[in-house]
Amino acid sequence: MHLDSAQERMLRGEEGEAKRFAMEIASKVGDAVGADQLVPIKSAHVLAHYSSLHDAGVEVLERFANSGGKFAVPTSVDPASIDLQQWRSFGIPEDYARQQFRLCDAYAKMGGMRCWTCVQYQVCNFPRQGDTVAWAESSAVVFANSVLGSRSNIITAGMDVACAVLGLTPRFGMLLDENRKAVVSFKLNVGVLRDLDFRSIGFFIGRNSGQRVPALVGLPDSVTSDQIKHLGASAAAAGPVSMIHFPGITPGSRTLSEASSGERVEEIEITRSGLGDVEADLNQISELPDLVAFGVPHLSVNELGELARVLEGRRLRKGVRLYAYTSSQAYDMAERSGISETIEQAGARISHSTDAEISPLKVLGFNTVLTNSAKLAEIVSSEGEIKVGYASGKEIVEKVTT
Amino acid sequence: MNPILMKGKGLVVGTARGEALVSSKAFAFAHSVDPSTGVVTDVRSDVRGKNVRGKILFYPFGKGSTTASSWFLETVRLGNNPTAIVTEGVDLSAVIGSVMANVMYGREIPVVVGITRKASADLKSGNTVTLDAAKGEVKGED
Repeated sequence: MHLDSAQERMLRGEEGEAKRFAMEIASKVGDAVGADQLVPIKSAHVLAHYSSLHDAGVEVLERFANSGGKFAVPTSVDPASIDLQQWRSFGIPEDYARQQFRLCDAYAKMGGMRCWTCVQYQVCNFPRQGDTVAWAESSAVVFANSVLGSRSNIITAGMDVACAVLGLTPRFGMLLDENRKAVVSFKLNVGVLRDLDFRSIGFFIGRNSGQRVPALVGLPDSVTSDQIKHLGASAAAAGPVSMIHFPGITPGSRTLSEASSGERVEEIEITRSGLGDVEADLNQISELPDLVAFGVPHLSVNELGELARVLEGRRLRKGVRLYAYTSSQAYDMAERSGISETIEQAGARISHSTDAEISPLKVLGFNTVLTNSAKLAEIVSSEGEIKVGYASGKEIVEKVTT
Repeated sequence: MNPILMKGKGLVVGTARGEALVSSKAFAFAHSVDPSTGVVTDVRSDVRGKNVRGKILFYPFGKGSTTASSWFLETVRLGNNPTAIVTEGVDLSAVIGSVMANVMYGREIPVVVGITRKASADLKSGNTVTLDAAKGEVKGED
């Protein structure tokens, strides 16, 4: 990968140790993936949650922060592993919280936005069409590429901070036109869509795309950005998906033919039985769960409002917890709108700035989890310690409330 | 068996020799390998219960969370990492994890891509693999 003279200076350490370290990482990764050069980014999104970064990740982030690292572009951050305000009341152990706060401190020292959300594009980080960004969080990258028309690779832990410190990212993969063409097209043939279907459709696409960029044909006009958020998140959880062309929605892809640049694509039909297979695969339990988790990725304030309407007048059954995960911003709006009160009156709780899949669920004593998130179901079952159920939000509420 | 000769492309250079662990399904480190042991926990993995520690790990492509490189790095910190990674398509998490292992802990974990499931179809977990990433050469034998 070619480095210009300013970048060479960074690599030699003439701009400080943090930039040298970042440039060492970026140049090695760029060389490995065959990038030709580093290009400027408009924003970054990084990871700083203890459950996945582990102690190694604490060492990485503190090395950046303690060597004078500052984010060169607006930088947002994924959820933490604990509710940063209410963690004690959720039963988080002190030593676990301490490691998370080390990550929070290092991140803050570098000048990041304290948003702690995986839906930064609904909260604080809004690239425009055509912008190049370097984002971690696969679900957000799918949204950026597929809905916003921005360009990002799925930048994983370590490299995310390097790009943010440099304000640069290697040019390869989804930054290049030739890699963004749809090469496989999924066609919906499932009749009327229910809310769970959007998540199952995404999972089906993720599992059947391989490394090919998919298109999805047949979404109704009524589809919401929240539904696309969950669809994309499910796809990226199930396979190596970083973009889905939605003809008519994705900028530059008014039709399938535009999405594929006129080239022929393989067609795969999504049928009711295909979605049924996904549901059966993700749903491992029929008993009452210890925990119901909504909000992987984070719920918007509108989704919290829908949840409140479904929960109104109901009461959670004994022995079941129900947590709705969201950003602190949506949490505040829900409080001001009376949404939180309705949810709490049902015996449920809203947790902000953290999320279920990166919480220490096992440590908190949960052995069974029921969710409408295909992403959470996939992750929890991958860890192999907790049994998971997968059903629609309405079905779940009917099951766990009276 | 006759030696299986496979030719791919080295993304992170280095050499390795060791026992193969072969998965034919999308693989993840995030939430799917316990860093404190190296054991694969993913219920959807065809190598569930196997240990990646010291193995030359084969899988077609990655899946899932962008935290994969940090799960990988934690296996390195604790000495439970695979010796090399061989994939069909580029798994950016493996590349970044390997680079991070180098800059943080001075470790060399080669990554080779372009080895299709067809090319490695006769390779079984437990076979001995010799790998030279700079040449893109991967050899499997009993």
